[in-house]
Parts: sequence; structure tokens; C-alpha cells
Amino acid sequence: MSLQEHYRSQARELLAAGAVKMVVGYAEGTTPERRRPVFITEPEECSRLVLDARCRTNLAGYLLREGLLSDGREIAVYLSTEGVRTINILAAESQLSSAQVRILGFEIDRDEVKAMEGKRAADFSEAILAHKERRKKQAPDELAAKLEAMNAAERFTFWQGEFSRCIKCYACRQACPMCWCRRCVVDNNQPQWVNTSSHTLGNLEWNLVRAFHLAGRCVECGNCGRACPVDIPLHLLNRKMTGEVLEAFDHYPGMDEHQEPALASFRKDDPETFIL
Amino acid sequence: MARIGVFVCHCGENIAGRVDCSKVVLALENHPGVSVATEYKYFCSDPGQEAIKKAVREENLTGVIVAACSPRMHEATFRKACAAAGLNPYLCEIANIREQCSWVHENPDEATRKAIEITRSLVEKVKRNSELHPIEVPVTKRALVIGGGIAGIQAALDIANAGGEVVLVEREASLGGHMAQLSETFPTLDCSQCIMTPRMVEASQHPNIRLLTYSEVEKVEGFIGNFRVRVRLKARYVDPAACTGCGDCMQKCPQKKIPSEFDCGLGKRTAISTPFAQAVPNKPVIDSRYCTYFKNGKCKVCEKVCQTNAINFEMEDEFLDLEIGAIVVATGFQVQDTALYGEYGYGRYADVVTGLQFERLASASGPTAGKVQRPSDGAEPKTVVFIQCAGSRDPAKGVPYCSKICCMYTAKHAMLYAHKNHEAESRIFYMDIRAAGKGYDEFTRRAAEEDNAGYIRGRVSKLWEENGRLVVRGADTLLGRPVEVQADMVVLATAMVPQPDARELAKKLGIGCDDYGFFSEAHMKLRPVETATAGIFLAGACQSPKDIPDSVAQASAAASKVLSLFSRERLEREPVIARNNEATCSGCWGCVLACPFNAIEKKDLTDRSGNVLRRVASVNAGLCQGCGTCVTFCRSNSIDLAGFSEKQLFAEVMGL
Repeated sequence: MSLQEHYRSQARELLAAGAVKMVVGYAEGTTPERRRPVFITEPEECSRLVLDARCRTNLAGYLLREGLLSDGREIAVYLSTEGVRTINILAAESQLSSAQVRILGFEIDRDEVKAMEGKRAADFSEAILAHKERRKKQAPDELAAKLEAMNAAERFTFWQGEFSRCIKCYACRQACPMCWCRRCVVDNNQPQWVNTSSHTLGNLEWNLVRAFHLAGRCVECGNCGRACPVDIPLHLLNRKMTGEVLEAFDHYPGMDEHQEPALASFRKDDPETFIL
Repeated sequence: MARIGVFVCHCGENIAGRVDCSKVVLALENHPGVSVATEYKYFCSDPGQEAIKKAVREENLTGVIVAACSPRMHEATFRKACAAAGLNPYLCEIANIREQCSWVHENPDEATRKAIEITRSLVEKVKRNSELHPIEVPVTKRALVIGGGIAGIQAALDIANAGGEVVLVEREASLGGHMAQLSETFPTLDCSQCIMTPRMVEASQHPNIRLLTYSEVEKVEGFIGNFRVRVRLKARYVDPAACTGCGDCMQKCPQKKIPSEFDCGLGKRTAISTPFAQAVPNKPVIDSRYCTYFKNGKCKVCEKVCQTNAINFEMEDEFLDLEIGAIVVATGFQVQDTALYGEYGYGRYADVVTGLQFERLASASGPTAGKVQRPSDGAEPKTVVFIQCAGSRDPAKGVPYCSKICCMYTAKHAMLYAHKNHEAESRIFYMDIRAAGKGYDEFTRRAAEEDNAGYIRGRVSKLWEENGRLVVRGADTLLGRPVEVQADMVVLATAMVPQPDARELAKKLGIGCDDYGFFSEAHMKLRPVETATAGIFLAGACQSPKDIPDSVAQASAAASKVLSLFSRERLEREPVIARNNEATCSGCWGCVLACPFNAIEKKDLTDRSGNVLRRVASVNAGLCQGCGTCVTFCRSNSIDLAGFSEKQLFAEVMGL
């Protein structure tokens, strides 16, 4: 039985037994290459669930819809390692209880989908640890390497160019599972710290503020970059921040649900290389 | 509509010498919202303050800017003046055009331009200020005194005698501290224990003092008037309520060869022991590091001989939570590790001892019952060499400061020794004699003139053993030649250093340390017993090297600070505190993690029938110190600081 079939039948069983009230998974999209999130509450609808290498979206963020988890019931959700790490962070930040999240874990290796064993976020700690080790050794992609080679002025010009396309649609924020604030800082107009108009200054402000708000929290799921209608390589900013935090504090976001945030925890042996 | 008054102070020449104050007035006069702008030589003077008050009343001002010195200097002055004129004091702000402008810039034109900018930005801020009212907090009239040496005991007694409650915490098994170890005390040569033990008994029997020996401060939370302190009561393995202090257990304990800490290793003690005979409380504790039962699982001799069944090997550390209004830190000092002085042979030659060890040898309660004997063979030494500044005033060894007591106690040692042994000869190597204090210089002179103490001005370079005696080689700098003295015993006046865990305690208390680890006072001259943390005071040698009279005086000073705090029912606190916007708070508790004062609580938001809708952060106004850490942490900008709100700061920045 393929993994797709296997998880379909598991989803069916979970719903039929009343163990979960909803399954959040993937269904066919508008074109053959696309997959879209689907929210299934009836066992007979489970045949719509699809699982293949095109299922890239991190679905964890959908669990935060206000009131969805407030009845205390469980929801099953298709999650890759990034998704499980997201659950850990959201639990650490008190946005959900991991006990309400039943995980159907999978991993995409090139074009193949593999199962990841486990039901609760805590069951995946080994896979997450392996991810962390891999991340430490991971070489930057072509564009990232090009950016690293630039000097500060060249990099600034590069980002100015990229951000000049930004239309301030905030799709990146809407797609990001970590952007769960009830009111985003950009929507605070008393005072208006971040300029709302989409000119260079406002665009720089917005994108940099978001990158800092994700420092030590981003799981690099790529939702933001995929959502961006003007193809700004947002993942590069987050990747840079993740690398810095990993290198400086050995902090890899979402290791478990008790992890303290990198920016609010303090250890005596923290490096202070950034202090002049 | 804002009606702001701008008052530009010349501060004599301090500001006007660099900044063209008339130009500042001119520039601000026509700024939107400014009703009156004026300048004066000294606005902090009486006529200056009167001018501000008059303007507030006549112009019906809604805000005041005094462009003057740092707010640390006169913010309180001008806010009081505004309050007297009927304006809420928090509507008065200081534009610092002295420390941040006139004092640091050379070019008058640029300085003037900067002064205008600073003042204008403050005008923009004050337009958005709102009235704030002081927060009142209750005062718990119970003091915690940490350390049961002479300073701690004195502070505790003074507070208790004035009617305050005191919890006195001592980490050793008995009160007494270092003073209990001393033989006689300078400059009167009265027996240390004879004057110390009555104080110890008084403290232990005082109805207002709760004595916690063998206990340590574990955690401190809260703020002035409202500290919450957790104390660890270490397991004594002896029930103090049942124990009568008969001492049978100590006699029968098979572990008899443990070096006694109280006797600085010169005497021996048992595994179950009291530190010394007059210990208060006179109840032994079992040292589990040495006890045969704890090491081998067999013995329990003490349990067998105890007639009151006071021994309990199952005992564990207990914790006590206390509500405390003020804290006196009196944790004392340690003597410096003599291992730093290889050239003086400490540890290599048994007859090289520290000053504190000499105290034990000369003390009637000591291991030799007051007879000065060489540790090596018990013989009475004929010649004793004293080396002063063995550690102190030596930057190379990390102690550049003077330990203050060594000149006096070395003179005392020489005297005591001469009194005990009339044939004796003392040689004292010294750098300078520092004997400032009542009766002190007379005392050192007496040692030299009447008690045969031979002072040699110079340092010792080397010390070695030859034919069973010690040879001390040094310089006599007054004669300008090297000297060698044959000695039977050498006493090192080792430096006074902070307790090894002083920094750890400082962290728990939230107070500062100097470079060496002595606790920092709020102001060296004007606030010598206060720390920078309100409600925490210092007494004794934990702050700097001190002798007994100084420690006692400082302890009484700290007690008077505590008592003045306890004389009030309620304290007023600055209303500069954080506030949370519950509508936008997502309850991530980042602020809870970030808050150093544990001032943020979780609050349930409920519907009408009491169902919890969600949980949000809520700031406890009593605990919040207004540091703003939570504000910077909150990603959604839900938390704001009263008096420094984002709106105000944004306007201030945009005004530049």
C-alpha cells in the first residue's frame, strides 16, 4: 500500500472512531502540479487526500485559526519535520497544546515520499535532531553563496532591488505559521513604526522587521517564499538568521515544546562576539 | 490644544557658554503648541522655580520642558515645582542640553542647533504625555539579615530593639562569624569571645529575632517593602528541638581527626560537632562528608548515645518562604588563599601560619588553650616574624587594596605574644603602618615601645628552613640593606577578600559587586550603606575590608535605614510601569520569560458566564519596575510603558 493510501485509511479510521474531529491534509490543486490544503471532517471524504512530493506547504499554521482547538478535541494533520518543529514552537509559545495534534508524518526525499513514524510531536525528536545535524553541514544554495560573497553595499543594492518589487500584500505573513500575532506590528498605527506604503523604505522596514521577528523561530518551511506573488527570495533572509542563531547559540528552533526562545533565554556561556 | 512652556536654563556658563540660549528660545517660541518660551540664568534657583510656577498658573500650561542639565540632577526639583503650581508632575520633562550637548561640543553654532533639536523633540514628547499618579505599595515590616557575624548580629539587634521583626540567617551551625575566632581585640585587648558571646545570646533569645542557623538564602524575588525570600534550611541530622546540647554524641563520635574549620585546621573536630564551645545555638550538626554512617552505611554511634533521640539520619534540606520588607547583607569576608605566596612557604612549612591561625593559637578557646606553640612540634617559639601585606597592596596578586586591619592585628599579635612570653622577640616586616582610628596609632606605638616589637620597613623576598628554624630574608629599606632573621614561627598578615560565593549572592539579590567581589554601595560617600537596589543594605566586611568598630557602626547605620523604611505604612512608587493591551495580546508569554522581576502574570479573559476565552498577560503594578524589557520583547507591540510610551518616543524621535 502506498503511503497516500495508508494515511487515507488512517484518516478514515480516526474520523470514524471520533478520535479526531478534522484531518488537515493535501488535495488536488487547480493544476496538476499544485496541491492545496484540505480540511476533512467526514470519513467518506478521505479519498480526496493526496500525498506526494508536491505536498510542500507547511499545514501547521492552519491549526491556529481562532477557536479551532478551543473545544479540546484533537485534529490530525499531515506534517513534515518542519511541520512537527512548528508544532513544538507553537506549543512552546502557548499557541496550542501538542496533545491536541495527531501527526501523520512524512518526509520528502527528492521526488519520493517516505513515512515518518510517530503520533505526537514528541515522538519525532530523533528525526529533528538528525535534521539539525544536517542543517549545520548544509551548504548554501547558489544564490545564498553569491550573496555571502558580496560586500555590504552590494548586498544592500541587491535587497533594495528585490524589495522594490514588494507590493505589501503581506502574503508572506499570512502564509507563515509563526506569524500568529492577533495584531501584527505593521497594523499598529499608534505609532506607525513601519511605513505602510510600498516604497523602498517601507518595504525594507517591513521585510527586515519580519526577519527579526522570525530569528530563532523560523523552521525554513518555505511557505513565505512560495506565497510571494513577486518572487522575492525571502527564504534567504530567514536562512541567514537561522544560521546565525544556530552557530552562535546552538539554537535550532522547534527541538521540543519546552525549548526557550533564543531571544529570551540566557546562558552564562553565551558568546558575546557581537558586543563591541 | 497643547500649551507647552519651554524654559531654557543657562546653568551659569555651563550651558550658555556654548549654546546660544536666546536662539533656542527664538526657535521654540513659534513651534506649534508652545505658549511660552523663556530663558534664565539658573532655573533650579528659587526665583527660577518661581518663574516656572508663575507661567504654569498664568498661561495655564499643559506641559513643561526645562532645557537644562541631566534629568538625574533636577528632574525631581522641576516636577515638584510643577506639582506645586497644580500641574501633574509627569507632564514636566527635562531636555538635557548640558551633559548631552554644551559639555560635549566645541562648536557653538552646532551645539545651539543640537540644543534646539533636543528641546523640540521633548516638546513633541510632552504633547503626548498623560497624567500619571504614584503607585502605593504596602511595607512588610520584617527584615532579613544575611550573615550572623558581628555586623549581622548588630543590625538584627538594632532593628529588633526598635520593634521590627528580624529573620537572621547564618550559613554555619552557629552565630559568631570571624569575630568568634579572634583572641583579643584591638585597641583595648578585651577578649573577643567575652564581648561577642553576650551579643550572640541576646540575638538568639530576642523575641523579635527568628534565628535560622545552618541555612542559606536560596532565592530572592520582589522589591523594596515586598521581597519574597526562600531560605534553605540545610539538613542538620540533629533535631534542634530535642537536642539538649549535652555533647555525648561528640565525645563518642569515632571520626575525631577532621581538621576544624573554626580552628583554621590547627585543631581537630568530630563528624558530629558544634563549631566551638560557646556556639549559639549549642546544638551539633552532622557533617555528612565525614560521617562514618554516610560514608559506609554503618555506625550511628551518636544515635545510640543520644538520650533524647535527637539524631535523625533521614533528615533532608527544607525550604522556608518568607515575606520580607528589607534586607541587610552582612556576609563578611574570607582570608586570601595563601597558596598564591609560594615564596612565603605557606603549606610547605608547618610553622608558617596566617594571622587568623595565630588568633586561634593565642585564643583561650583555641587548640592550645591560648599557649602559643609551633604547629610543627608544639615548642614555644622564641622569635616570631610577622609579614604584613602578605597579599594586600599587591596588584600582581590581584589585591591592590589595603586590607585595613592587618597593621593593627599584627601589632596586637606582637603584644599578645610578648605578654604570654616575656623572653619573646617579634620582628615585623611592614610597608607602611596604617593605624588611623581612635586609639590606633597609640596602640601600634605601644607594641614597638613597650612590647618589644621590632619593626623592619621592607618586604620579604624569600623564606626557607635551616636547622629546624625558618630563615626570613628581606630588605630593611630604612637602612638600605638586606636582612636575614632566624625565626621559630612566621605569621602572614593575609589579605581580606570577599566570600568566594559573593558574586552568586549578588546575582540572587540583584545588587552589584566591585572588581574584587565586594558588594557595591549606591554612592561611596553619600549612600555608603545602601545598594543600588532599593530596600537592600550592606553591613560589615562584605562591602570592603573593615575592623570591628567600623562593621558595628555600619551595621547600626544599615539598621537605621531599615527602620526608617519600616516607619512608613506604605511606600510611593514611580508610576512608570508597563501596561498590556489585552485586545491584541496573543498570550505567548515571551514577556513573562523576559521580565526580570516576575511582574507579569497570566490572566484569563472570560465571557459573561465565566468560560475562559483566552489568556493574556497582565502586569502586576506593585512588582513592575518599569525597565521596559517586556516592551522590546513583544512582537505585536501590545505592551507599552507609561511615561515612555511608544507613541511618546516615536514623536520624540520624529521631532528631531
